[in-house]
Parts: sequence; structure tokens; C-alpha cells
Amino acid sequence: MATPAARLPASAALRRAGTRVGLERVLGPDFRLGFLFVAPTVLLVLALVAYPFGYAIYLSLTRKYVGVPPVFVGLDNYVKLTWDGFFQRAVVNSFIFTFGSVSVKLLLGMLMALVLTSKIRFRSFWTGVLLIPWVAPTVVSALNFLWIYDYSLGVLNYLLVRVFGLLPQGVGWLSEPGTAMASVIAVNIWRGFPFFGISLLAGMKAIPAELYEAAAVDGAGPVQRFWRVTLPGVKNILVIVVLLSTIWTFNDFQIVYILTKGGPGGATQVLPVLTYEIAFGAQRLGEAIAVALYMLPPLAVVIIVLARYMRRGQAK
Amino acid sequence: MNRRLAPRLQGLASYAFLLVLLLVVVFPFYWMTVTALKSEVQMRSLASMFWPDPVVWDNFRHLLAQTDFVAWFKNSVLVAVSSTLVATAIGTIGAYSLARLRFLGRAFMSSAVLITYLVPPSILFIPLYAQIRNLGLADSLAGLIAAYPSFTVPFVTWLLMGYFESIPEELEEAAMIDGATRFGAFARVVLPLAAPGVLAAGLYAFTQAWNEFLYALVFITDVKLRTLPVGLSSFITGDVYGWGFLMAGAVLTTLPVIAAYIYLQKYMVEGLTAGSVKG
Repeated sequence: MATPAARLPASAALRRAGTRVGLERVLGPDFRLGFLFVAPTVLLVLALVAYPFGYAIYLSLTRKYVGVPPVFVGLDNYVKLTWDGFFQRAVVNSFIFTFGSVSVKLLLGMLMALVLTSKIRFRSFWTGVLLIPWVAPTVVSALNFLWIYDYSLGVLNYLLVRVFGLLPQGVGWLSEPGTAMASVIAVNIWRGFPFFGISLLAGMKAIPAELYEAAAVDGAGPVQRFWRVTLPGVKNILVIVVLLSTIWTFNDFQIVYILTKGGPGGATQVLPVLTYEIAFGAQRLGEAIAVALYMLPPLAVVIIVLARYMRRGQAK
Repeated sequence: MNRRLAPRLQGLASYAFLLVLLLVVVFPFYWMTVTALKSEVQMRSLASMFWPDPVVWDNFRHLLAQTDFVAWFKNSVLVAVSSTLVATAIGTIGAYSLARLRFLGRAFMSSAVLITYLVPPSILFIPLYAQIRNLGLADSLAGLIAAYPSFTVPFVTWLLMGYFESIPEELEEAAMIDGATRFGAFARVVLPLAAPGVLAAGLYAFTQAWNEFLYALVFITDVKLRTLPVGLSSFITGDVYGWGFLMAGAVLTTLPVIAAYIYLQKYMVEGLTAGSVKG
């Protein structure tokens, strides 16, 4: 026969279990290890991205010089920039740079992926070599091209003039306004197309062979198979890669900075380089951040759309 | 006739296309190496353009003896290795947590990590610099080691989330039925299986840190404390470019990354396609 006293510990244990179940119901069954494991990431992200980002927005609303406290000026920096010729030119250049670069990278990457999914020998060799520009240090690549483009001793002029005789005399690829932008874009394409190729290749490999067989039975030619089977099959990856590359290209600093620093005469001036020059050349920090943040609304849209696609891709 | 010819032509076009791409991809590296091995006289005279004649090691000697290259190399190794270790450790457990464990706010945090990965450095470098300076870490390698996880941690976390999700959950459940704790199941069952992914993520984090330019350019003013990318590019600010020793430096900067890549290429290609952009 159980006395009330004997039953008490049991009920206390039950109650304890009850609160534990309650906590787990609210915070999730694995919340202890989950929070513990994710805490360092969250702290880092807060300290190194979220806080600086918020601070950037605040600074962009101030007049701030290096070593002097900021003075709040509202949207002044943004308004001034809107009518600034240098800034307008940098915006246009940034769009030309991004669009020109991403579209060719997509085209080359698509061709690379198509060729590598067809019957080809030594596929892993080709894939391995073609990915090298993407893993090699960007600074090295930019310096290599600076040297290749060199007016008097560069190998590009040597090839075009002396070896192939295509041009009567050398071109100052990076020093003439007419060719500077295209030359800079070419380097970005060179570095970035393998990423498109490899990603699209992975997407194409995942398309079931039966789909192609069915299309062939229905009498679809190679072109139709591409539009009806391949393209829909890689659509998700294609969107992700294009958006990702758009963000990266729009914010590419190194290539332009090393090759031209925005010159000649602002012909290749893009927003990240302009931000750097206003910040550390002119020491006007508030205005510099406003340059970087001016494109935030469209950028934020791209980032959110992209994040959705990437989450969906991963959840599969 | 046409039926047999078409695939052959297509095959030929494929190889031609790959060969052209290969040339375009490899040539800058070939050119860099040839330049590094040429003498100043040969380079100026445009003689034997595509082959060093004679092969000289003066550029490397000059680079190692008369510039700060060796110091920069050490700085780069220190910064890249330490920030990679930090990022891989934090990112691995974070990714496991976000991919597998069930707790409040998980979905939100997953999206947040992804979004931080996408925020460009060109927005962050000025406020980060202010922050690093307030912490007294301006003009120090510690400042770079503190700042680099801002892009390596979200990247590693993101890459490995995909990897962990591809490991069957039943394996952990089986281990836990056999009496393992959740942590035990992670440490003894999941982690060994995820090792190739962790390796790939670590390698990418290393290359990203090794290649980083903007933060290193802004945070460091002391010439001796530069990392390789900024140090190398500082050779071009003078009037005399010294292409020979600049290219020698470029060769030595590329070697570690390319060597790691050639040796571990399989993991890197698979890691990239398994995690970040799986469709």
C-alpha cells in the first residue's frame, strides 16, 4: 500500500519530465545541442556582418571623415550622389560590366557543360583543368592579364601584330577608353565561366536519361532536346548561378582595381572601386558608404530571391 | 551518310571547343612561368618570346632576397591557416545543427546564414575596418584573422548543410537506438562520413582566405604585414614594374593553391556540386 510520502518523489519526477517536455515542445526536441552548435556561427554573423551592416547604413546618413566623429545629415549623401556625374558614370559602368560579363560567362559555361556531358574522353581531366581559373588567386590572374595586355612588351600585341599580322600596330588595351572596359570584362569572364560550367554540368548529370530517350522516341532533334529537356532540367541551377554571379560580378573589386583603378578617365570606374577611392583616397567615409549602399534595394531583391532558390535547392 | 557524319563532326567540334578553352585557360599561367624564368635582357628584346633562353633564376633570387616576399608569404600562411581552422570548426557544427537538429528558429537562422554569405564585402569593408580599429586590431594580422570568418564561416556552413542533408538520417537514428547520445551520433557516425565534405569546405575556405584582397588592402598599412595578394600588387605602383620578379612572385603565390587543388581535385569538384548549388 503506497503512502502519500512514497508517491511524492515519483510525482516530482513526473512534473520535472513534464516541464522538460514543455521546454522541448516550445524550443524543439534537439534545442540543447542545436543552440550550442549554432551559437558560434550566430555570434560571428552578428558581430562581423549584421552589426557592421547596420553601422554602414547609419554612417551613410552622416558626414564622416577619418578620425572625426560623424555628423548626422539624413539622406544628403544619397541626394548629392544622384546628381553626381562620376557616380552616374560608375553606375552605368557597373551595369555594363556586370551584364556583359555574366551573359558571356553563361554562354561559355553552358557550352562547356553541354560538351562535357556529351560522349567525351578524359572528362575528368577537362573538368579539372577548366576549373583552374576559378581556384587560382584572383590577384595573380589580374596581374597576369595586366602583363599580357601590356602595350610595348605584352604578349597579346605581340601575337596580334607580329605572329598573326592581324593588326598593323599594338593596342593600349587598358589605356584606351575604347578597349579598356571590354578588356577588363574579358578577365572577369576568364575567371568566372568555369563556375557556370561546373554547376550546369552537375545539373545536367542529374537529368534522368529516360527523359532524353522519351524525347528521342517522340522525334525531337538535338536542338529540341536542349530546349525541352536540358534547359528545364537545369533551370533551378541556372537561376542560382546567374544570380550568384550577378552579385559577385557587380561587387568585383580586385580585377578592376588592379587592371585600371577605374581609368582611363573613368572609363572602367565601377561602384566598388569608387567606394574605395572616396573612402581611402578622399577620406569621406559617409559618402563612400552611400556609394556602396545606393544599389542596396535592387541587390536586396536579388539576394532574397536567390536565397529562396538556394534553400529550395538544398531542401530537395 | 549524313547520319554517320553528323555525330563525328559534332565530336570534332566538341574537342576543338575544349582545346580552345584549354589554351585560353592555361596560357596565362604558362606565360607567367615563362616570364619568371626569362632574363631582363631577353624580355626587353622580345627574342624567343615563348621560351626562356637561357633559363635564369635571377627573378626568384631577387624576389626572395630583395623584397618582403618571404614575410608576406608567412603572413598569408598564418592568416589563411588560422582563419580556415576557425571557420571549418565553427561552420561544421553550425551546419550540422542547422541541417539536422530540430529547434526553434532553425529555418530563420538557415536563411540568415545564407543571406550573410551573399552580402558583398564592398559594403562591409568600411564599417568592419572601423570595428577592427576600435578593437585595436588595425594594422595587425590578428585583425585579418578576426575579419575573414565574416565570409568563410557562412560559406562553410552553407556548403556543409547540403552535405549533412545528403547523409541518411537513419544512420544516426540507429546509433542512438544503440545507446549513443545525439552528440555521440554526430561525432562517431556523421562526422567521419562527412569528412570529404569538411575537407572540401576547408579547402575552399583556405583558398578564399589566401586570395582575399580588399580587407587586406584596407586593414594593413605596414609593408611588412601585407599578405601576398596585396604585396604582389604593390609591385606595380612604381614606374618600373619589374615584370620578371613580379611573375616569379605570382608563380609562388599560385603554387600552394594549385598543388592542393591538383591533389584534392576530386573532393573540391564534388564538394562544390554536392553542397552549394544542388538543384
